[in-house]
Amino acid sequence: MLREIQQVLRFVQLLGKRRQQSGLNVKGGLLVLVWTETGPSVQSLNCAVAAAGPWCIGINMKALQPDLKECMFPCACPCLPPDPEELCAFTDLYGSLRLLLTFQMKDASPEWCARIETFLHTYSLANAKIKIHFKFKFSQQTFQRDFSVKIKNKAGGNQRSLILDVTCRTQPPECVKKGCWCQGGHPVLGDRLPLSIPPAAMDQGLFGELSIQAVTLLSPCVLQYPNLPTQLTHIQVLVYGPSNVPVTGPSTFFQNLPAHLDCQEVGLHGLHCSSFKDLVHSGGTVYTVEQENCEDPEQESSPAPIRQSLLLYIFLQHSDPFTYQLSDMMATEVLIERHLEDILNNNKQAVTKAVQTELKNTLKAQNQRKKNQQKMRSAAEVILGSSLSIVSSSSNMDFRNACLHSMKMSDTYDLSASLRESLRRVTSWKFTPKNICYSAQVEEYPESDEPTRTEI
Amino acid sequence: MSLMGSSVAELFSAIDKLRAELLNNVEVLTDCQRVEGEISHGEILSLIENVILGIVTSLSKDEAPFLALPDRSNWANISFDSAIGLRMTLGSSVTTIRSDCPSSVTKFAQILKIFVVIYKLVQSNSYATKRDIYYNNTQLFGSQKTVDSIVDDISCMLKVPRRSLHVLATSKGLISGDLCYMEEDGTRIDCRSCSAAAAVSSNIAGIRNIVSHAKFIMIVEKDATFQRLLDDDFCTKLSPCIMITGKGVPDVNSRLMVRKLWDTLHIPILALVDADPHGIEIMCIYKYGSVSMSFEAHSLTVPSVMWLGLLPSDLQRLRVPEDVLIPLTKRDESKLSSLLKRPYLASQPEWQKEMELMQQSKVKAEIQSLAAIAPDFLTNIYLPNKLRYGGWV
Repeated sequence: MLREIQQVLRFVQLLGKRRQQSGLNVKGGLLVLVWTETGPSVQSLNCAVAAAGPWCIGINMKALQPDLKECMFPCACPCLPPDPEELCAFTDLYGSLRLLLTFQMKDASPEWCARIETFLHTYSLANAKIKIHFKFKFSQQTFQRDFSVKIKNKAGGNQRSLILDVTCRTQPPECVKKGCWCQGGHPVLGDRLPLSIPPAAMDQGLFGELSIQAVTLLSPCVLQYPNLPTQLTHIQVLVYGPSNVPVTGPSTFFQNLPAHLDCQEVGLHGLHCSSFKDLVHSGGTVYTVEQENCEDPEQESSPAPIRQSLLLYIFLQHSDPFTYQLSDMMATEVLIERHLEDILNNNKQAVTKAVQTELKNTLKAQNQRKKNQQKMRSAAEVILGSSLSIVSSSSNMDFRNACLHSMKMSDTYDLSASLRESLRRVTSWKFTPKNICYSAQVEEYPESDEPTRTEI
Repeated sequence: MSLMGSSVAELFSAIDKLRAELLNNVEVLTDCQRVEGEISHGEILSLIENVILGIVTSLSKDEAPFLALPDRSNWANISFDSAIGLRMTLGSSVTTIRSDCPSSVTKFAQILKIFVVIYKLVQSNSYATKRDIYYNNTQLFGSQKTVDSIVDDISCMLKVPRRSLHVLATSKGLISGDLCYMEEDGTRIDCRSCSAAAAVSSNIAGIRNIVSHAKFIMIVEKDATFQRLLDDDFCTKLSPCIMITGKGVPDVNSRLMVRKLWDTLHIPILALVDADPHGIEIMCIYKYGSVSMSFEAHSLTVPSVMWLGLLPSDLQRLRVPEDVLIPLTKRDESKLSSLLKRPYLASQPEWQKEMELMQQSKVKAEIQSLAAIAPDFLTNIYLPNKLRYGGWV
């Protein structure tokens, strides 16, 4: 089923690319409806994929070649049309339908809901201007989720314009109430890496120039809190084909990648691939970062580091002057995905080095923060020790009382603890507003786009 | 040339006349009284306590503490006063040292650490040198230069002389001649030894019972020239006189000593420096002060200092051989131009003339170059004639 949805998305994206549509105008709606037949036994899943809005201008359903349809859905069976009311609600939002494709799959299972949801979420991350409406009805239960991106950011060089979902989904710490919190992220474009096409793929007809473009996105953003320590806890790798559609299926190459990375050079204690259970709802490959055991009692009393996760986008890019028919381009994408493991293994050293470089660049800031924190911690000891030494040894009662009253303390022992805590707080949570950040006064955390589950 | 007997009166007639002129023009006693006994121990402690209270108050308001240090290196914060020299203006710009910034937090800590040291020294009425402070915590301070700079910053910030902070600097200057005095600890210093000079004291403020019949004080730029004069028995030949050297750019104690001698003896002070921009600049430091210590100008400068030699016009007048003259470098020319633009030169037309002569001739010379005329020319001919006939500007 995912393959079929993938093909529809490729179709729309490649058509847009052919029309040389500017990435900035690529907005619109996508509707994915999946339902089962009503009846005692559920054996088939019906799926309807509809598209409307500027991103699919120029699509003429009537003119859609039958062979193209067959190319898109080679294994699918025809199915009943979807509920017109569902389509109505969609067209009310985005205008008349430009595309409506339906198909039926025999292997009905509620597990498809999570898989499709993950796929659509991954798609949404790199195609943030498309609003996606997903509805899954299985027996008497309905699951519905709308993917509407709150904060988008453009990334990409001249070759490709990417609109990424950079919305931060992490709750800000409690002590940020008075200040500001960046609700977005700031993607960093990595280097483009040319890839060699392995012979097996060439035999299947894959030619031209193939490369990958890496983009990293660290979340949450703490640029406005320069003194806060951070800790990278997870890395998620998402791979996209040339049409910006995510590739499906786990990647053995990326699952095994941690074993080939020089964690020490990057500044990590260790990295291991998360279990399959974690992968199901995550999309792509997820690594858990091993953390150092903190034995230094001083470090333990410092503010807890802000946990960050890194999203590593790997965008495959392909160009072949002899491939220009839409069906050929779609076939090429399928070929690339089919041979992806082979391609990555064929360029193992280069890809590993590229990922290593991206991680190293990302962690530079974290390592610098750690050094700064150590510097500030040692200086704080001297500052506090010196101040308290003068207060304690002063015979000027007015001065001593002024210090104690100022901090609302009764003796120098309590004063010491209070000053220490206050200094730690004001220095750790120093706020420096940045123009590039998506800040707002944190009164209530903004509504999230968590799915709504409706059970009937 | 005999310098004894009736020649003495002739030798010093010009000097005595200069002294009379100086005493008429310059107010001395008021300044002297103002410098001495200015700040009490209690006041110093109170000033430091105010700084700490400021830090505690900031923290009580959940604000990161910071320290504001007057910018001692900015010419924009300096004004020229002909009676004092270069002085720091009120409301001068400050450098903010923040406690919440990694790039400045270490300096913040260093400053507070030195505050504690000073506080304890003043409380216990004991003294320490800047070197002692550095070696007490080399890891925190990193270098002696850091400690030296911070002590001066604190002095400027609190607007008190460094000696009031009970922090002493090791003196590098030497002094010789008709002078006796007592140090604060009771040590009696007699500078009349012919062969050896006395080190300038580390605690100028503590000097008592100054006794001298000197007619003039000669500031000598370089130690080499000073030693040469010592070897030639200059102080005996031109007795009674005092000569002092800061061995190049003078330290604060050497400058304080010159100032103290002026305040006590009210005798002409004449500078003997190389005929080059560096020597002229050193002479200006004694006379008008430095930018970095401008906040303490009133106790460090002696605006009445006269330029005895080596004058650029002397090189022509004496026909100093060309092979001992050195061409000015680009750096020399740049410094000379900078000196000519200094605010104090406007009131010294004679100095300007000499410096413009140097600019035109594009040559400089060391005092040692006079040895090319005759080995004993400096001590036996040049200086006595200069002093006798008022050859200073």
